[in-house]
Amino acid sequence: MRAREPDAEGYVDRDGVKLHYEVFGDGEPTLLLMPTWTIVHARFWKAQVPYLARHHRVVTYDGPGNGRSDRPLDPAPYGCEAQGRLALAVLDATGAERAVPVSLSMASQWALWLMAHRPERVLGSVFIGPSLALTPGHQGRQQPFEEPYTSTEGWAKYNWYYWQDHYQDFLEFFFSQCFTEPHSTKPIEDAVGWGLETSAAVLLAENDAPWVDQATLRAWCAASRCPVLVVHGTKDQISPLRRGRALAEATGGGLVVMEGAGHIPLARDPVKVNLLTREFVESLPEGSRP
Amino acid sequence: MTALRGRSPAAQAAPEQTRARYPDAEGFVERDGVRLFWERYGDGDTTVFLLPTWSIVHSRFWKAQIPYLARHFRVLTFDGRGNGRSDRPAGAAAYTEREFAADALAVLDTTGTGRAVAVGLSCGALWGTVLAADHPDRVAGLVVIGPAVGLAPPHPERAVHSFLEPLDTDEGWARYNRHYWLRDYRGFLDFFFSRCLTEPHSTKQHEDCVGWGLEIAPETLADSQQGLLLCGLESFRDCCGRVRCPTLVIHGDEDAIRPHAQGAALAAATRGRLVTLAGAGHLPQARHPVKVNLLIREFVESLGGRAR
Repeated sequence: MRAREPDAEGYVDRDGVKLHYEVFGDGEPTLLLMPTWTIVHARFWKAQVPYLARHHRVVTYDGPGNGRSDRPLDPAPYGCEAQGRLALAVLDATGAERAVPVSLSMASQWALWLMAHRPERVLGSVFIGPSLALTPGHQGRQQPFEEPYTSTEGWAKYNWYYWQDHYQDFLEFFFSQCFTEPHSTKPIEDAVGWGLETSAAVLLAENDAPWVDQATLRAWCAASRCPVLVVHGTKDQISPLRRGRALAEATGGGLVVMEGAGHIPLARDPVKVNLLTREFVESLPEGSRP
Repeated sequence: MTALRGRSPAAQAAPEQTRARYPDAEGFVERDGVRLFWERYGDGDTTVFLLPTWSIVHSRFWKAQIPYLARHFRVLTFDGRGNGRSDRPAGAAAYTEREFAADALAVLDTTGTGRAVAVGLSCGALWGTVLAADHPDRVAGLVVIGPAVGLAPPHPERAVHSFLEPLDTDEGWARYNRHYWLRDYRGFLDFFFSRCLTEPHSTKQHEDCVGWGLEIAPETLADSQQGLLLCGLESFRDCCGRVRCPTLVIHGDEDAIRPHAQGAALAAATRGRLVTLAGAGHLPQARHPVKVNLLIREFVESLGGRAR
């Protein structure tokens, strides 16, 4: 059951990969709530859609690998440029000439790609808990990924073999690190459920897609011209606050630091995130509106 | 006179949480030497009176009702004797349903409230019913949620252990025991609220309730528990028969504290409407607040001019 059902939905087919999208509301401009890591699908925006759709046209879609989209086992559709082009395909299919992308975690690189390569389509960009290799990540996360695991504790579970042996246990661990706030049992249960809708095989294929290096990310940041808002929690155990800070500096954007928030404030502090997003969208210059 | 017992050190250390809505007026009313703390939110001709329940919690248990209802009605609430900012008299006699009903009347008087729609949760159904029966001119309608009324048998597991006698077990409802309370009060609160909040994802509501529970001393809570036992079933049945105002009973069908049959019996005894919340436990106002708020609002609006 949902608080708000979509007003329109459909599929786009690009290079043989079918993606499912949904459209809510009709106010300008369009907000493109992007997918993130394939471990979840578009329902992770459930606390944003009903509110934002009262004020704006909201487009969400399941990225390749989860939800109602295809689950390719070829790494190609999961690469950064491919993801950027999939986002464009959804904008085209929904008739959104321009939009405000809102991205969480690893989708930040796809949003940056859009800003650098299709600046005429991006009115402004909201980043939440961006996971971008602009600065080093958390120390504790640096565990061997492609070697057989010798420990099953903590981040050792983030491992090619462990995922295949104990996928659900990995999900439970990972989301416990995403949701560090007290009273997160519901969002953890939701996210584990969405994680079970895909598979270790899909995550492994995605992991084999090429990653964008730091110099390229910096060049994209420098090329960005649109207004930027970065929202980052101080207790983000997945991607440290310094990464959000670095993104805001590199793009000349605003930074909102959320005290005590973890990696997914849109689920645990939805009112704050919704108001910040709406304020940002309404602050965009009139001339930039279609 | 009032013998005051202090709040527990843990509760004294905990700062109050921020609120979605702050009262527009507040104050104390004193009745027979016991000071009661009340709050008023919003304005308007129609008053919704959120009654206290068992003194194991105080008026913040209405936190999910107040901000919504106050947008539509004048909302009045107070801390029941024994908890919150009200006094904590000693002795079981200070905690009978008659005392709570008289406190409620004093709050209506001191706030200049002629008539109100009374809303009671659990034990609050006792004093809500007494108030409606004895003061029909002051109560325009009565809503009770998960009523703790002896009109139907209790859950069998709750009838096993003595409250006053020492027990040789601390398992389950054996924790509902005075000796256990004095030995491990926190353990009792954790158990009791786990049975109140049987819905998944209740950690926040559980933490809130345990925190409020720590604001009353176990000795005082034991007094209040004994006071409630003084409520005679026959006189309560008589009260139900004298209720003339419209009533609404809301009861979860998974209430592990008070069987749904008790709510059904109260609805029948007061010729009221029964709404059964599927899957809900004993505190639906906390775990299903939107549903409960809408039911209260619809009920109040259905009374029309009679509620003013």
